[in-house]
Amino acid sequence: MRRLDVTLVVAALLLAVLGVLTIYSAGGTYYLVRQLVFLPVAAGAAVAAYLMPRRLLHALAEPLYAVVLLALVAVLLAGTGPGSKRWFVLGPLSIQPSELTKLATVIILAKYISLRRVIGLTPRDLVAPVLLAAIPALLVLVEPDLSTSLTFAAALAAMLYWQGMRPLHLLLLFTPAISFAAGFSLYTWIPFFICLAVLTLVRSGLTKSLAALAVSSIFGLLSPVVLSMLKGYQRDRIRAFVAPWFDPHGVGWNAIQSQIAIGSGRLLGKGFLHGTQKRLGFLPNRHTDFAFSSAAEELGFIGCLVLLGLFILLLYRFLRAARYTRDGFGAQLCIGFAAILGYQAFVNIGMLIGLLPITGIPLPFLSYGGSSLLVNALMVGLVLNVAARPE
Amino acid sequence: MERRFNRLTQVLWILFAALVLRLGQLQIVQGARNSYLSDRNRIRRIVLPAPRGRILDRGGTIIADSRPSFACTVVPTELGDSAASLLARLLDMPEAELAQRIKPVAMYASPVKVKRDLSAVEVARIEESNFRLPGVQLHIDPVRSYPAGVEYCHLVGHMAEVGDEDLKRDSSLRRLDFIGRSGVEAQYERLLRGRDGFEYVEVDARGQGIRALPEKRPDPAVPGKDLRLTVDGRLQRLAWDLTADYERAAVVGLDVRTGAVLCLVSRPGYDPNIFMGPIGSPTWDSLVSNPSKPFFNRAITSGYPPGSTMKPVVALAGLHQGAITPESRFQPCAGSFRYGNRTFKCWSTHGSTDLPEALAVSCNVYFYQLGLRIGLDSLTSYARQIGMGKTTGIDIPGERPDNVPTRDWLDSRYGKGRWGAGSLLNFAIGQGEVLATPLQMASIYGAIANDGVACIPHVLSSVDSAGRLTYTVPVRTTRLPMNRADLDAVKTGLNRVVAYGTGTAARLSEITIAGKTGTAQNPPRPDHAWFVGYAPAEAPEVVFAVLVENAGHGGSVSAPIASKLIRAYFFPEEPAEPDTDTTGAAATTFPAETSTTDGQPR
Repeated sequence: MRRLDVTLVVAALLLAVLGVLTIYSAGGTYYLVRQLVFLPVAAGAAVAAYLMPRRLLHALAEPLYAVVLLALVAVLLAGTGPGSKRWFVLGPLSIQPSELTKLATVIILAKYISLRRVIGLTPRDLVAPVLLAAIPALLVLVEPDLSTSLTFAAALAAMLYWQGMRPLHLLLLFTPAISFAAGFSLYTWIPFFICLAVLTLVRSGLTKSLAALAVSSIFGLLSPVVLSMLKGYQRDRIRAFVAPWFDPHGVGWNAIQSQIAIGSGRLLGKGFLHGTQKRLGFLPNRHTDFAFSSAAEELGFIGCLVLLGLFILLLYRFLRAARYTRDGFGAQLCIGFAAILGYQAFVNIGMLIGLLPITGIPLPFLSYGGSSLLVNALMVGLVLNVAARPE
Repeated sequence: MERRFNRLTQVLWILFAALVLRLGQLQIVQGARNSYLSDRNRIRRIVLPAPRGRILDRGGTIIADSRPSFACTVVPTELGDSAASLLARLLDMPEAELAQRIKPVAMYASPVKVKRDLSAVEVARIEESNFRLPGVQLHIDPVRSYPAGVEYCHLVGHMAEVGDEDLKRDSSLRRLDFIGRSGVEAQYERLLRGRDGFEYVEVDARGQGIRALPEKRPDPAVPGKDLRLTVDGRLQRLAWDLTADYERAAVVGLDVRTGAVLCLVSRPGYDPNIFMGPIGSPTWDSLVSNPSKPFFNRAITSGYPPGSTMKPVVALAGLHQGAITPESRFQPCAGSFRYGNRTFKCWSTHGSTDLPEALAVSCNVYFYQLGLRIGLDSLTSYARQIGMGKTTGIDIPGERPDNVPTRDWLDSRYGKGRWGAGSLLNFAIGQGEVLATPLQMASIYGAIANDGVACIPHVLSSVDSAGRLTYTVPVRTTRLPMNRADLDAVKTGLNRVVAYGTGTAARLSEITIAGKTGTAQNPPRPDHAWFVGYAPAEAPEVVFAVLVENAGHGGSVSAPIASKLIRAYFFPEEPAEPDTDTTGAAATTFPAETSTTDGQPR
């Protein structure tokens, strides 16, 4: 018995159409044509994902994961891209393996996490999922791309939570990594340490609290050591990761331009193709990471509400599919995909409106990019698959 | 399941609600203002240049400072083609060069520097034509200046405009920035430079600033640190003046107890201020084409045969390895020494001498025989251990290790085994293939004076930040293989050199000086004159190495220079004696703007 989730299909299609319009307005005919070529490919992929037996996907999880990781390593060794190694050029196509990695990692995580009924804070439950998520996250991190690397953390956290892991345990699981990142500066590490101490003392007793604090102290101490071993330019790069408001190249300038562009859209927007900021060329990468600024300028607040509404609707249907399926693997797929798309949408828009530091995260469906569109379509197709066959 | 579904849905709502609230703030609450700002791009990112740290001598006299100047900046998105050609004409600049400056950043609306250090005429021209030059502005832009003058050129160094390489290597640099290229300016570039800040300002339709943008806090510039050097400005000036009669010379003075550089001079020099002006001026061309290479720091990058100043090193090697005692005598000197079928000369006839006496009269025959007894491998190994053939580690870039002719080196130079004992004999009297810089010789004699403890030479004394002392350079020492009894014998010899030997020209009535003269053969051109000496001989404080190229005997030319520097060090209240040649010195006293810092005790 198949029931197609029409709401989800419509939401995804509307987002894709909005994406095409935005790319045309921001990037011009060249990018429009390319995106229009990708669209049917992505749609075909979505249909295939919808029709595919989930058992096959379950069986293919490991090979998929392995192939994608190899591509990621290949990119590190031979990739090209402006400033950093993110792209992989194969003839006329340039592929961004980190996008495909998101998909493959969620699939294999779904497989291994759904093996257990409930996940506790034990090595037996956690070693496999943490390793499976950490490997691609670290590979992406050295690309270097911190924000994409955090996508995997978001997916892992959401999926573990869905499998019954307590939020406190989830926090403890991530403390070493948080402590390491916070440890680059005492100003971030001390508040983190105090919060952790209070929280664990209140919620889990003295012994566990001391253990958690000891572990996070070790990782916190490790980061200055690592930092001191790095060369000057590497340290600058890390500093830009951890403190992007440290602004030697005027990234803040881009953020300001973006906020002015968005704000100048006011309630109703300047109208399609009537944005001025992007026409004057103040916005960098305006058809990719900055696509939302361009859209918000032309569509205004009302248009933004519609756009955000479509995202909420899409993600809600993802969660709903997880809620109603009886297949643990399928449910985990939906949760993982929701986490990834939700993280990207929130981080991208958040940075453009000045809530978060500027990083290189695309907005699903709106940012130009074939790999991204293909992966997003596959995610939608797989969620439709789960929603249609809940057993 | 239900609960977790609800929780995740709530998280979704909360995150998106935050986005909607912020969007509302930007588009509704601040919508009118953002719309106004976007209407005609009305904000500018202005660079606030970090003032470069000053460089002071040990007394606080300013050696390098910054003076204000005007730079012309352009907002590339606003400058039209006609305005561009007008601007190029006003600035006496080829249009292609202007376009080249703007091109890499053409898509941005932040100002780029197109010309720095404008003349008063250029400033006036731009101001007059302001209304025809949209996007063109004048900014205050500090420029380096060197009030103390030419004697510091090699020590403090100079700055020059960044090149493509620098821009690639260091992303915080921008075009038309200046960075340290030599000397202290290059060595401590990071400390001196500080970090530029910036602010965002709102501008009117003519591109003139109205006020700071309230939405974005300015990021203030972090000023560079002030550097205080160990150098004594008086000695530096005196060393410069005392070598005025010679085309090429170098002087190094060190505090033997700390390694602090008291003076470091190389002739000929250049005016570091010329790098601030346009390259290609007549002065510039004459400097570049000067065969004496004024940019070359002879004190640390030029190796000379040490001549007889090498003999104390050979003596110490012999004593250290037990080849001789201070009382050892060899075949008497009859004016020459026959080895194989070659004759090696001495400069006089000295008869039979012991070691101190051989040093005092600088007897070559004694040292030929000593060298043979020690052997090449032992001698080169000892010379290397006490610092020859190695950089001293001074904090000025470009120091050269220079050469000790080891067996391997001779093999590679002449072919395996195709060299004879002549190399060893020449080495033993400091001629031929052995080379040392004046700094190395000063450092080695400093270690002898300091009873075998070598202090690594350094020119930085302390770092000041906003008038407060933040860092003091520690003294770094190494123990050399020289024992007390051996040193006493060598020091006795060095005392006698000045008392009645080859270096009597250095003698002072008030202070006992010990040292060694040297005459480095430089065929076919005239010899180089060396003197290296320390004082007071009983409890040494300072060491000076003086080298004058092609000036003949060290005893007559270099020894008096060292002696005058030592006198000036110990009697600072006396007027420094710039020899009989007072004309040059009077014209080069410090300018009036020279002043000490805040006058606090340090």
